[in-house]
Amino acid sequence: MTTTRRAAVLGGNRIPFARQFGPYAEASNQDMLTAALEGLVARHGLAGERLGEVAAGAVIKHSRDFNLTREAVLGSSLSPQTPAYDVQQACGTGLEAAVLVANKIALGQVDSGIAGGVDSASDAPVVVPERLRRKLLRLSRARTAGQRARAAAALRPTDLGVQVPAATEPRTGMSMGEHMALTAARWGIERQAQDELALASHHNLAAAYERGFFDDLVTPYLGLTRDQNLRPDTTLEKLASLRTAFGTGPEATLTAGNSTPLSDGASTVLLGTPEWAQAHGLTPLAWFVDAETAAVDYVGGEEGLLLAPAYAVPRLLARQGLTLADFDLYEIHEAFASTVLTTLAAWEDEEFCHERLGLDAPLGAIDRDRLNVTGSSLAAGHPFAATGGRIVATLAKLLHEKGSGARGLVSICAAGGQGVVAILEAA
Amino acid sequence: MPTETLGGLPATGPLLARAALTARGRSGEEVPERTLRVEDVRIDRHRLAAYQRLTGHDVSDTVPQPYPWVLAFPVQTALMVRPDFPLALPGMVHLENRVTTHRPMDAAEPLTLEARAGELRPHRRGRTLAVRLEARVGDELVWECDSVYLARGAGHEDAPRGETPPDLPEGPPAGVWRLPAGLGREYARVSGDVNPIHLHPLTARALGFRRHIAHGMWTYARTLAALGRGSLGPSSSRVWFTAPVYLPSTVELVLGRHEDGRLAGLRERTDPARTHLVLTLESRA
Repeated sequence: MTTTRRAAVLGGNRIPFARQFGPYAEASNQDMLTAALEGLVARHGLAGERLGEVAAGAVIKHSRDFNLTREAVLGSSLSPQTPAYDVQQACGTGLEAAVLVANKIALGQVDSGIAGGVDSASDAPVVVPERLRRKLLRLSRARTAGQRARAAAALRPTDLGVQVPAATEPRTGMSMGEHMALTAARWGIERQAQDELALASHHNLAAAYERGFFDDLVTPYLGLTRDQNLRPDTTLEKLASLRTAFGTGPEATLTAGNSTPLSDGASTVLLGTPEWAQAHGLTPLAWFVDAETAAVDYVGGEEGLLLAPAYAVPRLLARQGLTLADFDLYEIHEAFASTVLTTLAAWEDEEFCHERLGLDAPLGAIDRDRLNVTGSSLAAGHPFAATGGRIVATLAKLLHEKGSGARGLVSICAAGGQGVVAILEAA
Repeated sequence: MPTETLGGLPATGPLLARAALTARGRSGEEVPERTLRVEDVRIDRHRLAAYQRLTGHDVSDTVPQPYPWVLAFPVQTALMVRPDFPLALPGMVHLENRVTTHRPMDAAEPLTLEARAGELRPHRRGRTLAVRLEARVGDELVWECDSVYLARGAGHEDAPRGETPPDLPEGPPAGVWRLPAGLGREYARVSGDVNPIHLHPLTARALGFRRHIAHGMWTYARTLAALGRGSLGPSSSRVWFTAPVYLPSTVELVLGRHEDGRLAGLRERTDPARTHLVLTLESRA
């Protein structure tokens, strides 16, 4: 059996996240990923360095970006001999990329690597309607003049149109917000609790910027120095005044304030062995201890679309011999405030823990003061694949501040009923 | 040397129109001593992003090395359409360019741009004119550029030859670029250089060209971008425009080394002996 090694998070860098059609409207995924990567390279003195690998991805991707991450590496100051590949697991992409790099480090296959992710809701690939696409392909297959004429004659003005990708589940036709609204209603998650969580996210993120926490985690890009969505002065009253955006009737609780906005941005995380770190004058911030991925059957309505992390965490805890209370910090991705609240409620619910998770007792409650202490996606924004890298770098630095042995849990839900969770421990 | 500070960047279109209307009758042996300056030039990020995309750079905050030339183009043009300027601007050919960037330039920094014309020198196909451009952030000189233009006319066979460019390496290309017919129009849109020789076969023919040609400053910027990030920090590049690139066409990029730096060139796909551009780049990390 191969002896595994310890993979350390050595640092991270991201560009501030922008709102859709904001300052990054004209930047491509490749531009943003390159900017985040180049900032990481500059901060850690990696110019000309050949790393073990770079793994990153985007959820909404142009077909021309088949080698998005490799192209970003070639556009950076890293050695062009650094290999790279693309990863895609919806909103789990960034964290899954970190898992992949950490695993290769643990197995001794590489000594160093970068994980990352990027997404643009602004520079989205525009797709022609399916009927037109098939006709155009038939036209390009045509060999004879007759075939060409027939194929061309089949084109109708009414075929024209463009489709911009939306966050819609292909199997249900419902948007993520609609799915979440159903789950929140089922669990009776109150509007006010959601708004309070959103408020805390903004206040915590603003306070973290104020104390300079992000000075070595964020590189300004296209004139933006802080996350554009951040509203340091927002209040519960303002959040309460917003109209509901998802769900219907009096049970609707999801608003634009307690749901993440469509965003543009990129993030990266540097990982390596302690020896590699030392040789490069870098300090391990946190160990990448373990990770688990789960998926739920949301198609038949058995389970909520975004509740897979509720299943992944107990499996991870069991494997590590830990309880939910054994953590100093919790980073639960705020796809919606109600996602976080539902997940926490599920872990406290005896019936859910018994029947769905097969546990004898509920997983229990967490200390809410330890949750998303520097804000999360509701305030920062959520460029899908970039969220994992943002959270891993943030948590690693927070744990390092707390001191050796401090433990943190990351939980990220993803489209397709999936969830990626991980444990980090201060180095 | 007297310095005149303009109120802002003049509009290029009217300047080029005036240059065309006042082309005839310009003469003289002396270039008036005059520096034109524009302060507080702000970079429009949308135009910069379009420029970066068209020239193969990443969309980022760092200003590509040739971009201040684009910003200063109206200032330089304003200098050349003054009544006492001895040469006619239309038909002038860009021969050479040398640029030094002293530090990375951030798009958020307002620039002070200066343009002044230097000496007239005999050339075997006419006369050459040197133009100097400078960009400052506050009082700090961040960028300087020396261009050489040829005003075609009565040649001087015995004129001293300028420094010849280094030979390009032979062998397989490092890249093949298919340049579309509309490239000149696209670059004119992002750069403001609407010189008719770049726009359409008909407008180019009116000025004595076989067809329309790519902007030299586009081929220069695109080739620099192909060399990676080496020109974004402290660095110097020198370029020789050896033959026009007719549009549309397919050119090959060739790469090599020159002294302590990089060497790059563009050559004709169908006639590799025909070199369009030779470029050297020295980066000081």
